[in-house]
Amino acid sequence: MTAAGRPWVVAGMAAFAALSLILAVFLGVVDIPPADIAAALLGDGSPQARSIILDIRLPRIVTGMLAGIHFAVAGLLLQTMTRNPLADPSVLGVSQGATLAVTLFLLLTVYVHNPGPNAQVEMPLAWLPPVGMVGGVLAGAAIYLLALRRDLGPLRLTLCGVAIGAFLHAIAIGLIAGWGTARLEILLEWLAGSLYARSWDHAVFLAPFTAAGLVLLAVLRRPIDLLRFEAGGARSFGLPYRRYFTAVLCLACALAASAVGVVGPLVFVGLVVPHLARFLAGRNAGLILPLTITLGAVVVTLADLAGRLIGGAEEIPIGVVMAICGVPLLVVLLRRMP
Amino acid sequence: MSPARSLVLLVGIVAAAGAVILAGLTIGVRPLKPDLLPAVLFAPDGRIDSILVWSLRLPRSIAAFVGGAGLATAGFILQAITRNPLAGPGLTGTTAGAVMPIAACFVFLPWLSSVYYPFVGMAGGLAAASVTFWIARGGDGRSLHLALGGISVSLFLTAVTTFIILRSGPQASSLLFWLAGGFQGRSWSHLAYMLPWAVLGLAGALAFQRVLGLMGLSEQSAAAMGLRLAFWRPALLFCAVLPVAGIAPVAGPVAFVGLASPHIARLLRPPGPGWTVLLSAAIGGLMVVTADVAGRSIAAPREIPVGILTAMLGGPVFIYLIQRRATLPGSAS
Repeated sequence: MTAAGRPWVVAGMAAFAALSLILAVFLGVVDIPPADIAAALLGDGSPQARSIILDIRLPRIVTGMLAGIHFAVAGLLLQTMTRNPLADPSVLGVSQGATLAVTLFLLLTVYVHNPGPNAQVEMPLAWLPPVGMVGGVLAGAAIYLLALRRDLGPLRLTLCGVAIGAFLHAIAIGLIAGWGTARLEILLEWLAGSLYARSWDHAVFLAPFTAAGLVLLAVLRRPIDLLRFEAGGARSFGLPYRRYFTAVLCLACALAASAVGVVGPLVFVGLVVPHLARFLAGRNAGLILPLTITLGAVVVTLADLAGRLIGGAEEIPIGVVMAICGVPLLVVLLRRMP
Repeated sequence: MSPARSLVLLVGIVAAAGAVILAGLTIGVRPLKPDLLPAVLFAPDGRIDSILVWSLRLPRSIAAFVGGAGLATAGFILQAITRNPLAGPGLTGTTAGAVMPIAACFVFLPWLSSVYYPFVGMAGGLAAASVTFWIARGGDGRSLHLALGGISVSLFLTAVTTFIILRSGPQASSLLFWLAGGFQGRSWSHLAYMLPWAVLGLAGALAFQRVLGLMGLSEQSAAAMGLRLAFWRPALLFCAVLPVAGIAPVAGPVAFVGLASPHIARLLRPPGPGWTVLLSAAIGGLMVVTADVAGRSIAAPREIPVGILTAMLGGPVFIYLIQRRATLPGSAS
């Protein structure tokens, strides 16, 4: 693609995003006449349409979009800083720390509270976002501190991240495998990524992080560009390397950790969406970040929509849909990329 | 590190693995007195102790060593080809390809005997590896193609596996147990099944050690040294796929070993790529053997999956070695 074709990509992407949003609002398991949905959106319409659209569909769409943005941006930042195309939020231990925290939390609530079989399912879901976030941030902090004791280089960070991440993941899997109660299903759904029954509370939980993150991204644009280079190269451009490395790392960690508890670790978004954005942006490096943000939101929205429609009452987790539909697309791109 | 010291280290690691295997023979639900061990080992009779040692404990321990060594070799080759420290044996999609059909057979075809699982898994692993190979255009593409292609294939197959687990209902926890990797109940026939593939991988890596060293530097310098990348990359990739395709169907996806062992070996600064390969294999074997013995003795009579203990025992060692060095060696050497 030539540079002249770029505005086209942007316009196409924006139209695609709008289209997917409209589709996600208007399509669902419950058939509601489009006119009724439009009326409900404008604060009118039948009570049934209003409750389904405003209380069920919109919040999960918004939550999904925000979470998608979080993961995609975190993945892009980490791939840039570690200069590793295979990096994603799990390099910072965010996914694994959150998995362990959520596993421990579900395990504890079973034994501490032990209410009736129906009461259990509702209670933990509301608590998962903060629990997952704490787990993710703690893991990220541990990895950062380990790397900080030495040179805070990308390779050291990556290797420490791999070790800590594998350690935490092993404990979590050990607990899951040795545990095996009915609560396993909540955990498995969460691990595969799910937007089922996500409400406005979840969107409100994410929104401040998204807003702060996007503002910081705008402020830190130039340092982020420079972090692509070796420490020496970045310093020669006048960048206080350690300070900005830390700042951007914190940003990536906060974005990923805030989203991981809400929707589960969406590996596909964090790992693959930045690459998709890079393919689409071509030589125009300035487009990568906006495309990453848009694609992160669109991919999750579409995957959730597909999971809702195909699975019917038994929804298919977004993580599964994204990988099964997204990978063939990625393969086509990879085959076409020079 | 000089070659002499490397040799001492290598012999030391293999001896340590041997000692762990021997100690492991006496540990178990029915412990064996250490002074009886030589008699049982060298003059097996039909009694329960010899049966325990010869048909249960010894084959699974040796299988664990071979498995760890093979995965570490594959990890080393892939890290050298892609020059990516995050590369592991799963990078070619082989592991996910072996796991998915086995999980599917486990849930949807319960009448299929588990005797056939290694073959099912091998077919799946090789099929997945060929898809990755096709995406990476054999030897022509950049190493980014290989890395991303392998990751995509893995992501796809892992998603299918997740879907199968979610649909499996009450079998979910036993599937998860298997997915953490293990050598429970692995016999001589399992060992005979994996050994040739692991040996082929290791022999390939050793035979092509010079090429691996050059590839680890950069593509340009390898080409400048007169290396035909279009031939060598697929050849090395094949050497990396073989051990994984042989081991993953038998042992399940044992995490962390294949990724960490080559790094640990490099942190010891061996004198050349050949030594790094040997040290990686020995470290991988030691790690898995230790994890296997620990996994069946810590919570006896229950078993802890090997993949969990490799990360829990190997992780701290790995971090210690990383933190000991002020500067880290790259993926070359």
